[in-house]
Amino acid sequence: MKRCIPWGTLLMLLSLLLILQGCLGIGDNSQKGNTITTNSKGNQVNIVQNLFKGKIYFTIDHNLWVTDGKNNTRKIMTGGNVYDPAVSPNGKWIVVSARNKNSSDIAIMPVSGGKRHNLLSGSGSYYNDAGFIKSSNHWFAQPAWSLDSTHILFLSDIEKEDWYIATGENAPLLDLQVFSIPFNNSFAKPQDIAYASFGDGGDRDPSYRPGHPTEIVYTHYAYDAATRTQQVIQIFLEDANAIANHPGVYHPGLPGYDPGIAITDPKDQNLQPAFSPDGNAIVYVRRESPSQMGLYVMPVPEGVTVKPNDPKTEQQALLPYKKSSHILSGQYVSQPIWSRDGKQIAYISYNNNEFDLWLANVAFNAKKGTYSLQGNPVQLTTGGIDGNSRPFWTP
Amino acid sequence: MKSQFVKINALQGKGSQSEQSPNGWSQADTRSTVPFDQLHGGQTSFGQTPQSPGAGLPSNWDARSLPSPHPNGTPGQISIAEQNTLKQQAMNGPITGPTRNGNNAQVQMLAYGQMPMSYQGAGGFPPPGYAPHPGMGNQGNNRKKRRFPIWARIAVSIFLLLLVVVGGLAGYYYYNFSAPVSHIVGQQVTRLKGDEDPNAVRNGADILSGPRINILLLGSDTDQKFTNTDGSHNYLAQSDIVVTIDPATKSVGMLSIPRDFWIRIGNGMHKLDEAYSLGGPAIGSGAYSPGGVALSRLTVFQDFGIPINYYAWVGLDGFVKVIDTVGGVDVDVLHPINDDNYPDDVGNKTGDIFAYKRLYIPPGPQHLFGSEALEYVRSRHADLVGDFGRSARQQQVLSALKTKLNNPDIVSKLPEIASDLNGYVKTDMQLTDVFKLMNFARSLNANSINRVILGPPYSADGTTPDGQAVVFPDCGKIVPVIAQMFALGNRAACNIQANSSNNALASATQPSSASNDSATNHSLQAASQVASTSAMNLGGGSDNPSGFHSLLDLMFMVVLESPQAMQA
Repeated sequence: MKRCIPWGTLLMLLSLLLILQGCLGIGDNSQKGNTITTNSKGNQVNIVQNLFKGKIYFTIDHNLWVTDGKNNTRKIMTGGNVYDPAVSPNGKWIVVSARNKNSSDIAIMPVSGGKRHNLLSGSGSYYNDAGFIKSSNHWFAQPAWSLDSTHILFLSDIEKEDWYIATGENAPLLDLQVFSIPFNNSFAKPQDIAYASFGDGGDRDPSYRPGHPTEIVYTHYAYDAATRTQQVIQIFLEDANAIANHPGVYHPGLPGYDPGIAITDPKDQNLQPAFSPDGNAIVYVRRESPSQMGLYVMPVPEGVTVKPNDPKTEQQALLPYKKSSHILSGQYVSQPIWSRDGKQIAYISYNNNEFDLWLANVAFNAKKGTYSLQGNPVQLTTGGIDGNSRPFWTP
Repeated sequence: MKSQFVKINALQGKGSQSEQSPNGWSQADTRSTVPFDQLHGGQTSFGQTPQSPGAGLPSNWDARSLPSPHPNGTPGQISIAEQNTLKQQAMNGPITGPTRNGNNAQVQMLAYGQMPMSYQGAGGFPPPGYAPHPGMGNQGNNRKKRRFPIWARIAVSIFLLLLVVVGGLAGYYYYNFSAPVSHIVGQQVTRLKGDEDPNAVRNGADILSGPRINILLLGSDTDQKFTNTDGSHNYLAQSDIVVTIDPATKSVGMLSIPRDFWIRIGNGMHKLDEAYSLGGPAIGSGAYSPGGVALSRLTVFQDFGIPINYYAWVGLDGFVKVIDTVGGVDVDVLHPINDDNYPDDVGNKTGDIFAYKRLYIPPGPQHLFGSEALEYVRSRHADLVGDFGRSARQQQVLSALKTKLNNPDIVSKLPEIASDLNGYVKTDMQLTDVFKLMNFARSLNANSINRVILGPPYSADGTTPDGQAVVFPDCGKIVPVIAQMFALGNRAACNIQANSSNNALASATQPSSASNDSATNHSLQAASQVASTSAMNLGGGSDNPSGFHSLLDLMFMVVLESPQAMQA
């Protein structure tokens, strides 16, 4: 009896195998990396190694982790309330913001490990002020080091009861502003560094400019001065000593009365700036549409922080923005940071319903003064890390 | 017949063990009087080996008239008479396999062309002297000729498989959904004395036809509570909104009454949110209080002249649970959210019912768990542009949430979502009414909704003599607005001063009998509503399994205090 080859059955089995391969990920040759933990969403978090130099600090469920690209990843701070780590330029200290229910603290820990302790505590209480319920709690957020590791920039609402007249509002100034304290004397009165406009949340993402110890950059959230109805989100450059050097000149509340100078177009919503290691470029995020964000790099305008409210200077400050280089886009792209050699940018991207670290290799064209993406971005983590905590990259 | 059951039970339950019959006889000595077809079912799973014909067989029955399954008559030799007889002695040892059982005999009989026992005559016996038809030896060939084509058999198999799968799924979802739905919709609350029932004149008209309807939306915390001596709890209503719909003109109005409105409730002056609490304790494990609904409804009618057709109550925890069940939402927070006076009413264990908490939500893309999402959409102090900014945030979260709810993967979580809604959403509307209402709301032009919040200039902040921070209504400004929005004419009122003659408060604490009386019928009603709503969904091509999206929309409308919630 002649035996027939059951081609139909074989074809069906082959199809089944292909389907299973897709479902089970059999044969997937992407880099899986090492599983380091399981996050609160129940996903295993993996780190793909050997893609970068130095150490990247980031948070998972707001516990602090560090990975060095050499198969070493470890959790170095717990508590489930850690945000925005920053390592001192001298490499000795890690400073973070630690969230509580009604306040947050600035906490510090040696890089080598050990106990963390608070530099600043926002703890307070509610009280009745002539029928108005107010709170003496404060936020301390997004710490950043001065270049010489002697001062810490941070965001806070510690002056929320101080600016009723300046703002013209019968309400406390809840919008966070930029302050600074000396690292070795956290009891010193914080110095006002950058003021906030009233009502849109205040400032974010402050950091010092490498090579220019008195200049800082930050995101300024405000409403337009004319109608006070349209959101204007711009990146500001500022002389960190302008307020201290000109007492009584500047105040918070309304646009135009602070020493910050906008370096991005008010028509676009730009945020989360980070200086390149040489301080000559800024990587930032632009909201391109309600469902898409882009990563851009722009040159830093020079000499614009001296006369911040001069119309001519204001125009001059916006020119480099037009030379922005588009690097990449995605649904959610955020929190970019530079590698120490300036050849890579790490950022958080949203894929498969999770936020993960990605790496983009970039090249600088000195002739054109532009940056461009080299190759495809590479996913550094899978499983999901915190999208609302700024990573930090050290050599 | 008694001994027959005794024997069958003994075989089924004890296996090979010999048992005494009730009359003390050993079963081993008992001759069966059971006809074969009755006994057959009891024997099939055991390796009972019949030994000899038993009593009760027709007198002319001869087992030898049957052909032997084996020519030599030895292995598996079973006669009908043997199968018809129980011999307990044959089960001395443990039963080790299904050998020589009734089924085996039946198979053998089929193989030799006999009819299976179940196909035989009324008594289950072949007629005496029955012998196989000579031609039955070729039955296999005949069968081949009559076989259906293979494609037909595959088609029938697939059809049957689909029938089983679909039937199973339908049963599963009806089981999982009809029960929660029965606890959500149709929750009638007896009206208190003095409360007008506008449904009395509607004559059962469809919710979107007939006279104007007014729906009271109550959003309640589930943490702040007053604990009573009996251990029950009273809760506050955090939001009181009246939605009015004129089916004739399709016009919609929405009146938000501040929860701190200082008005008459029962016999005294209280904040509006206390009406829910003063109405009575919560029933069940949640914060739903029929008495609270009744007193809130009466208060709106007596103080402002607005008759309420229906109510919908939502516990804010339900919103949190739903978002957590779908795994949270991912949104791009538009700007830093600062709020020093956010109501601390979810997860607050301090017992301070008027507590606030502080919010700081950093801007940018991030994952929000249920409580964070609720804070993001509820905060009233985080925007200079007030409700416009709040509405934009709500649209973000709802859009992210609905993206998740429309994901096919969510099907597996629908029972859990149903469970989340259960206890956190209550309404006296029927499911079909909710479905129609939400479909109507989705079709609304946002600009066509006449929305009024009775904040300034309709009211002003102030302090009561005993130091409570409250909101004082300005009746001169409120009445014309109510009269116009609800087409009340001169029935619009602002009777906000205490009236000692009113005894509604006392009666409000009585438990609602209506909800209890109708409870037994809820499951059946809900099941039929699920069916009819699903049919509407299919007809409308809507992705709305069992009407649950409509119930979710109802929840969103109450929590977000906006009918635009459905339009995300």
